[in-house]
Amino acid sequence: MMVKFDYLKPNTEMELATLLAKHAEEAKLMAGGTDLLVLMRDKVFRPRYVIDVKGIPELRKLEYNEYDGLRIGAAVTLNEILKLEVVREKFTALWEAAGTLADPTIRNRATLVGNICNASPASDTAPALLVLDAEVEIKSEWSERRIPIQEFFKGVKKTALEKGEFVSAILVPNPPEGARSGYMKWGRTKGEDLAVVGVAALINAGSPTIRIALSSVAPTPLLVPEAQQAFEDGVSFNDRVEKATAAVLSNICPISDIRCCKEYRLSMAEVLTRRIIKKLLEAS
Amino acid sequence: MSKHKISLKVNGRHYDVEVEANKTLLRLLRDDLEMTGTKCACERGDCGLCTVLLDGVPTKSCIVLAVEVDGHEVTTVEGISEEGINAVQRAFIKHGAVQCGFCTPAFILVATALLKRNPRPTEDEVKEAIGGVLCRCTGYRQIIDAILDASKGA
Repeated sequence: MMVKFDYLKPNTEMELATLLAKHAEEAKLMAGGTDLLVLMRDKVFRPRYVIDVKGIPELRKLEYNEYDGLRIGAAVTLNEILKLEVVREKFTALWEAAGTLADPTIRNRATLVGNICNASPASDTAPALLVLDAEVEIKSEWSERRIPIQEFFKGVKKTALEKGEFVSAILVPNPPEGARSGYMKWGRTKGEDLAVVGVAALINAGSPTIRIALSSVAPTPLLVPEAQQAFEDGVSFNDRVEKATAAVLSNICPISDIRCCKEYRLSMAEVLTRRIIKKLLEAS
Repeated sequence: MSKHKISLKVNGRHYDVEVEANKTLLRLLRDDLEMTGTKCACERGDCGLCTVLLDGVPTKSCIVLAVEVDGHEVTTVEGISEEGINAVQRAFIKHGAVQCGFCTPAFILVATALLKRNPRPTEDEVKEAIGGVLCRCTGYRQIIDAILDASKGA
């Protein structure tokens, strides 16, 4: 049986901010609800108020323009993102990551912002947003700020959100001209499982730029900036791939859990990192 | 706990009901509206057996609150066909795609929604579309064959 709560459905961001300011300690925000409802059934969360954000038109907007890039509102579902052609073309890491999250039925309901606010170390979309240099737009009754996504994750299930704040949108700038990105996930089964390890990368062979981020290898989704120097130090194609892969391996610290042991995670992180760098370089 | 008066359409029929905030759509359908074609199994969004169409879109009804469905339209297996059974259901019978039958309503619904959106899916597209529903008899081969056959007009 699910815990008891009052259900609130604000119609504007201002109403939402006011409700949060009043009930911050006792409220949980709900977008798709695909995680929240399960956690309330398990009594992990016992909020007094559940605030549904789907009634706020501003948060349902998914927009792209060639100057600012993507703007993904807090109530936009993963399948809405997957349907947008420009995401597949330009923001391939996000498109591939969104397409591996849970299953297609869940993705009709689950949202990107919900996935980010859960702050699971195994989030599929977080590594993609990290390599794409996304920003998180955060609002409250008295403030509005933007922070880089790498400053958003503070620990297992912990975010940079302060009391009374909510995430209104994720902003993803256009990737540099000529850059390619992708996401690879290793799970026990092909569908409906959390990642044993997930690797997102963005590579611009010309500049050269490389950004690599991983899920399920640290307390938070992790960007590995050390890969950039290692990549630049490489003297040949293979040397670049191997040096960048080695940099990733020396900066991650996976644990053993129900899905697999730490050694397997390390091994698969190496395989996937090498595989995605090669794939993106060969496509360049 | 808050109570809410909601209006929704289920299988074409209009309902005005009062629901408690924590009631799921699944519980509303099975316990209050007594439509037991929608199955209850894991109740945590994993197995997909409670799948219904919400405004035509496959949705796991155990992880949707009834109050969220206010003003929307729900289709369950009871309402999937206006006359008798539809092409997907006929193909399931033809291919013996039913073993214990517990997952069948969910597969019928996701398959019907798939064929409406994409009348000629490839086998991979069928596999992708049914990814959210589990069959513990593991009769997937017959299920996939039946859906592909239904797409050819069965």
